[in-house]
Amino acid sequence: MTKSVAESNSSVSAQSKAKMAVNRREAGHVPDFEAIESSAGFRELMKQKKSFLISTTALFLGLYLLFIFIISYTEWLSASFIGDISWVWVFAFSLFAMTWILVTVYMKRAAKFDEMARNTLIEFDYDEEENR
Amino acid sequence: MNATVISIFLVIVAMTLVITYFAAKRTNSASDFYTAGGGLTGWQNGLAIAGDYLSAASFLGIAGAIALFGFDGFLFSIGYLVAYLVVLFVVAEPLRNLGKYTLADMINARFNAKKVRGAAALSSITIVVFYMIAQLVGAGALIQLLFGIDYLWAVLLVGFMMTIYVLFGGMTATSWVQIIKAVLLMVGTVILSFLVFQRFGFSILEMFSQVKTATPHGEAFLNPGVKYKIPLDTISLMLALVLGTAGLPHILMRFFTVRDAKTARSSVMWATWIVGIFYVMTIFLGFGAAAFVGSETIINTNAAGNMAAPLLAQALGGDILMSFISAVAFATILAVVAGLVLTGASAFAHDIYGQIIKKGQATERQQMLAARYASVGVSIFSIILAIFAQSLNVAFLVSLAFCIAASANLPVIVYTIFWKKFNTTGAISAILTGLVSALVLVSISPSVMNPEAGVAIITGTALFPLTNPAIVSIPLGFLGGVVGTLLSKEANEKKFSEVNVRANTGGFRQL
Repeated sequence: MTKSVAESNSSVSAQSKAKMAVNRREAGHVPDFEAIESSAGFRELMKQKKSFLISTTALFLGLYLLFIFIISYTEWLSASFIGDISWVWVFAFSLFAMTWILVTVYMKRAAKFDEMARNTLIEFDYDEEENR
Repeated sequence: MNATVISIFLVIVAMTLVITYFAAKRTNSASDFYTAGGGLTGWQNGLAIAGDYLSAASFLGIAGAIALFGFDGFLFSIGYLVAYLVVLFVVAEPLRNLGKYTLADMINARFNAKKVRGAAALSSITIVVFYMIAQLVGAGALIQLLFGIDYLWAVLLVGFMMTIYVLFGGMTATSWVQIIKAVLLMVGTVILSFLVFQRFGFSILEMFSQVKTATPHGEAFLNPGVKYKIPLDTISLMLALVLGTAGLPHILMRFFTVRDAKTARSSVMWATWIVGIFYVMTIFLGFGAAAFVGSETIINTNAAGNMAAPLLAQALGGDILMSFISAVAFATILAVVAGLVLTGASAFAHDIYGQIIKKGQATERQQMLAARYASVGVSIFSIILAIFAQSLNVAFLVSLAFCIAASANLPVIVYTIFWKKFNTTGAISAILTGLVSALVLVSISPSVMNPEAGVAIITGTALFPLTNPAIVSIPLGFLGGVVGTLLSKEANEKKFSEVNVRANTGGFRQL
């Protein structure tokens, strides 16, 4: 199915469109996943998602491993930060803070990814009720 | 054992039985049994994940490790928390979008092959067995200490309770037991941490300076290197912790209890906050125990330090607080083992019986019966193993479970979602290479082989130098997937398109 077909359907009311979608699938309709996969919307979604996931994963795994390497092989973090609290605790807590920050950032980004995914699905006549 | 302990203990048991009674009425189909009908909200599932994850090893084990080894004990907390980023970024949403009841369902959304399902079920069962023995052995020892009951009776008691929850209440009862346990655990930990903080005059600086002189380790207590002195061993262990969580079948199963990827995501967010706040408080528990109980008393009560938190409660709040914390520890154990029974049962009854033997043609009634028989079977099997495993080291069993999860399950999950050319042979070889290499390397490691007679299972020099093999077995698992894929010519890129679209949009779910 191409974008032009989807657009020509857009004049039809949402309700009858949903009904059409269900009817088609009952007749053994299999969605054209390759067409969806190569659509501009889906490719943009994957591009953004991958760049986000790869960069953040590299960041958090990198910092985590860096921390482990530093404390395993060096004494760099044993110096005092304030009083008896050494830098090792500061680094450890920044890993906690990093986790919470990345989760919060991801929640925001994922809402955008959801929106992009929904638009792609609508473009291909996807009926959400089918899943329920 | 005094009257307060018994009454708090009975209240908790009664509460979980009432939940099971109501849950049983709502458990009428296989979907209800395995996933609570998929109807949990984000915060409910987030609490349940925390309840499933924060085992007695976390609560009592980490508090004790920090009390005895200072910063090195806290390393576990860091690894266990950062691991949730892997869960959130890589597995939670695709799992919800592609799977139904088990990890094998998700992998088989791409490869409709019995061998892949069998391999995935095998690795899930192996992980569940190791984790379960660890929990039951730990539970037996703890209950023996807390309530003065014999090890055998303690294991039987916990085993009986977990069987009741799962058999009658399925995932609904299990989830609510986990939710209540998470709340109780957080309340108990907050109270203890507050009392500790108060004793230190609400000053972090004061806490650190007092702890510095409170233990035999002196200043070293506040820095790395007291317990973990071999760099490669530490790195290997920390790799297993951060990558293992995303492959633990009982954690993965929790994502099938919510309706969509968005809820799965928000449940990880809830879990990350709860688990993270809990792990911050482990410092207060550990430091408090080091300062107000003292390492000598802690070690004399239990050599591994598992009694640090209850002893701290005794020191700060007397018998009532001690009873409450002991009851919380009991609830903690019950919630975790119930989740494990359910996960083991789903691999046997859904993957092996329902999908491989019955080829997905089992009726609803057959599925329910199979699920219940499997639950009882898994329970009895693990109780018997736990009775004979009394002398095994619990921390070792848990870190082994994390290592297998990271080596056998994570590579296949990552490849299934992201690698277009990945194929059936690759999937089987990724799982089996990770599973076998983790098991073989552990069996020839210092944890199993020790030159000193009686210290480990086998007397002799270890053939593999690291206690945790993750740093070798995880790369082997990933490599196994690549080699298997390249050796076979089979490829189905069309099927990958379907999986790619379904995993990333949440559309076209097959329910």
